[in-house]
Amino acid sequence: MKKLLTVIVILGILYLIPLLMGQELMAQSLTLKISEESGSLTEGLRQFWEYTGFANASLGNFIMIAVGLFFIYLAIRFHYEPLLLIPIGTGILLGNIPFPAGAGVGIYESGSVLNYLYFGVTQGIYPPLIFLGIGAMTDFSSLISNPRLMLLGAAAQVGVFGTFIGAVALGFEIHEAGAISIIGGADGPTAIFASAKLAPHLIGSIAIAAYSYMALVPVIQPPIMKLLVSKKERLIRMKPPRAVSRTEKILFPIVGLLLTTFISPSAIPLLGMLFFGNILKESGVTDRLADTARTKMIDIVTILLGVTVGASTQASVFLTANSIKIFALGAVSFIIATAGGLIFAKVMNLFLSQKNKINPLIGAAGVSAVPDSARVVQQEGIKSDPSNHLLMHAMAPNVSGVIGSAVAAGIMISFLM
Amino acid sequence: MQETATTATDWAQIWIITGVGYTVVFLALLLLMFLFNKMPLILDVVTGKKVKVLIKKMKADNGNEEDQYLSGEISAAIGMALTLYFKEQHDEESGVITIKRVARTYSPWSSKIYGVNNNPR
Repeated sequence: MKKLLTVIVILGILYLIPLLMGQELMAQSLTLKISEESGSLTEGLRQFWEYTGFANASLGNFIMIAVGLFFIYLAIRFHYEPLLLIPIGTGILLGNIPFPAGAGVGIYESGSVLNYLYFGVTQGIYPPLIFLGIGAMTDFSSLISNPRLMLLGAAAQVGVFGTFIGAVALGFEIHEAGAISIIGGADGPTAIFASAKLAPHLIGSIAIAAYSYMALVPVIQPPIMKLLVSKKERLIRMKPPRAVSRTEKILFPIVGLLLTTFISPSAIPLLGMLFFGNILKESGVTDRLADTARTKMIDIVTILLGVTVGASTQASVFLTANSIKIFALGAVSFIIATAGGLIFAKVMNLFLSQKNKINPLIGAAGVSAVPDSARVVQQEGIKSDPSNHLLMHAMAPNVSGVIGSAVAAGIMISFLM
Repeated sequence: MQETATTATDWAQIWIITGVGYTVVFLALLLLMFLFNKMPLILDVVTGKKVKVLIKKMKADNGNEEDQYLSGEISAAIGMALTLYFKEQHDEESGVITIKRVARTYSPWSSKIYGVNNNPR
C-alpha cells in the first residue's frame, strides 16, 4: 500500500513540474485542447472554471431551478400529480444547469441527447401515445349509462374558447392564441399537441402552465364550487348508474372514433389513439396489448414527456413576459372552464325531473383533468353529505371532457393551420 | 384607419372561430349522447331481444324502479364482505399448536472436534 502511494505521489510530481514550468505535456497535446492553449496551471484552471455551470449561471437559471425544486416539493409533500411533477421538476433542473454555448448538451442544441428526446414533443408524438394509455385504462361505463352527462364535458370547453379570446386581447398572434387556449381544456397532452402544431416556440410555457394547473386542481376548483353551488344543490343524490352491457362498451369506442374524427379530422392522432386504447381494453381479446398500453408504455412516455418538457424551460427561453401572460391566462381559463361546467349543470337541472336531477358539483369534472377533478368532486360532495358518493357520476363528464378538449384542439388546428 | 380595419377583420375571424368551434364541440358530444341514449333500443332491434319487455316485467315484479339498482352502501357492504372473506381465509386453521420433537442420529460431518482450526491446548 505504501509502495503504491509512493508511486502515485512521484507520478503526480512528475506531472506537475512541467505544468508549473509552463511547458507542454506530450500526452496532453493529444488529448486536451484546453491544455494546448494554457500556458500554466492557472490558465488551465481559469478555462476549466469558464466551462463550469457556476461561471455561466444567470439569475434566471437560479429562479428556474427554484421552480423545479418547488415542483418536486409539491409532488412529494402534497402528492399533487407526482407522476408528472417529479419528471417535469427534474427536467427543469436539467434544462437550467448553465453550460457554455456549443457544448452540445442543451435541449435546443442539435444532436444532443435531450434534443433527440425532445423530438417526440416538437413533432407531437408523445401526446397520442399518452392518449393510447388513457384509452386503455378508461372505463366509459358511467358515460354510457348516463349519456346526457357528456354535455357537461362540452360545456366546460368554454374555458378553451374563452382563453382564445383572452389571448388575442392580450396581444398574442392568432396561432399562439389558439395554442394557449387549449390550456383551458385542462389536458396536458392535448395542449402540447396543439402547441406543437400551432406555436412550437411556446410549447415549454404552455405545457408547464397546463400541467401546473392540472396539479393544482384540488386548490383551484373547491372555492369556485363553493361559490356557485348552494348547500341544497350539493346534497342532491343522483340515481345510481345502470349496468352497461359488454356490447355497448365495445361499441362506444368504435362509434366515438368514427363520429368524432369525421367531425374533427385534425384530432385523429389524439382521438384515434384514445378510442383505439379503449377498444384494446373492451374487446376482451387483447388484454396483453391493453395492459402494456396502460402500464409500461404510458409510464415510459410520461417519463420522456415530463423530463423533456421540463428541460425545455431554459431560463433564456422561458423567463419572458409572454410566459407570465400564459400563466395568467391558464389560471383564468381553469376558472372559466370549472364555472362553465357548474353553471351548465345547474341549467340542465331546470329541465330535468326531480328524480333525474344531477348534482351540479359534477359539472366541475367537465374539465378533462382525469381523474383529479372527479376526485375533487367526490371530496367536496362528501363534505356536504358523507354518504353521497359522486365519484362514479363525476367520471362521466371527466372522460367526456377529454373527448371534448381533443375535439376542440382539432377544431382550433383545422381553423388555424 | 387601415390598422383599425385590420383589427376589426381579425376580431370577426376570432368570434367566428369561437362560435363555430364551441358549437361543433357541443354538436359532436350531442350526437354521441343521442346515439348512446338510443343504443339500448338499437341493440334491441339488431339483436332481436326484447330487453325493454324484460325491464317492464322486472319493474312489474319488483314493484318499483328503484329496486333494480343497488345503492352505493349495499355495494360497499357486499364488497367489504367479499374482501374480508377472501382475506381471512388463511386464518381458518386447526388452532392446535405443538412442538414436534425431531430425533436424528449423530453425524460427525460438521463436528467441531474434527475441524482444522481445532488447535490443541
